[in-house]
Amino acid sequence: MINPIFKFTTIIFLGFSSLNIVAHHAFTAEFDANAPINITGKVLKVEWINPHAWVHVEVQEKGKKTTWMVEGGTPNTLIRNGITKDSIKPGTVIVVRGFQSKGKLCLPRCIANGRDVTFPDGRKVFMGSSGTGAPRDGADPRERR
Amino acid sequence: MMDLVEWLASTSLSIALRESLYLYPWIESAHVLFIAIFFGTLLFVDLRLSGYVFKELSITQMNKKVLPLTIIGFVLMCLSGLLLFYAIPIRNYQNIFFRIKIVLMIVAGLNAFYFHWTMNKESKVWDKESYIPSNMKFSAIASLFLWSLVIISGRMIAYNWFDCDRQPQSDIINFLTSCVVETDFYESLDGI
Repeated sequence: MINPIFKFTTIIFLGFSSLNIVAHHAFTAEFDANAPINITGKVLKVEWINPHAWVHVEVQEKGKKTTWMVEGGTPNTLIRNGITKDSIKPGTVIVVRGFQSKGKLCLPRCIANGRDVTFPDGRKVFMGSSGTGAPRDGADPRERR
Repeated sequence: MMDLVEWLASTSLSIALRESLYLYPWIESAHVLFIAIFFGTLLFVDLRLSGYVFKELSITQMNKKVLPLTIIGFVLMCLSGLLLFYAIPIRNYQNIFFRIKIVLMIVAGLNAFYFHWTMNKESKVWDKESYIPSNMKFSAIASLFLWSLVIISGRMIAYNWFDCDRQPQSDIINFLTSCVVETDFYESLDGI
């Protein structure tokens, strides 16, 4: 016979472990699925770091400069998707689509989750946010369902 | 402290870990696995000591069989955790959940020390009398709760809501995370 307290504790712990899986990347905790962005700008720097790489982009609009900090996947994910340190050097003009963070103050810079990036030669690659809670539109064939 | 953390971040091994393609995710996965070994076996020890389950097993026997696994899990968990900290020292040091985790770990450690110290002295007597003092039962349950909270706060480190590069934050948050906000940031706020 299983002790009811033991049963109860087991259920509680199992509950916690499944919660973790659901909230693995926590897109919804930090980003706004209803605030898609489409920005064009110059790469300022790339933080090539785990667990998420960050691409800093300077956008010039109506004479006003805004800096965006765009989150990508891990360095490993980026390389697999075709983004290398060399292909995204500072100064490269790129188009980034993604979703802005829930906080939209843009202080000191705007923050976004990167969906895909288009290089000057027209090459378009995903930044690794697909399948991590961001809205899915079917464009990325590797999206997990 | 900040100087030390900045120095750690500037060492080449830290940079290599941070920018690694495979090592960081491997260490991260291993850390979770070791947590499972540690906490999974701790669950047995603590539940036995709470006096609710596995009553037919003597405490001395349980300690001999299960505790070594708990200790192995603990050591490996700490080593992999230190590497994870070492990979991203500044952000972790200034992360509020990391700090909460450290405080909880100290409390959980003191609790563990207290109860192992008492247990080593008295477990043979408890075996004979099949009796566990109530403060030991409390300590065992507290241990489960504390280590659960440690794991939860550890998981929360991944969230950057209170990070230093996310301003404005309330003064209390910036105090708790030792964030230094540049004065020109506040000047930039004036125009809004």
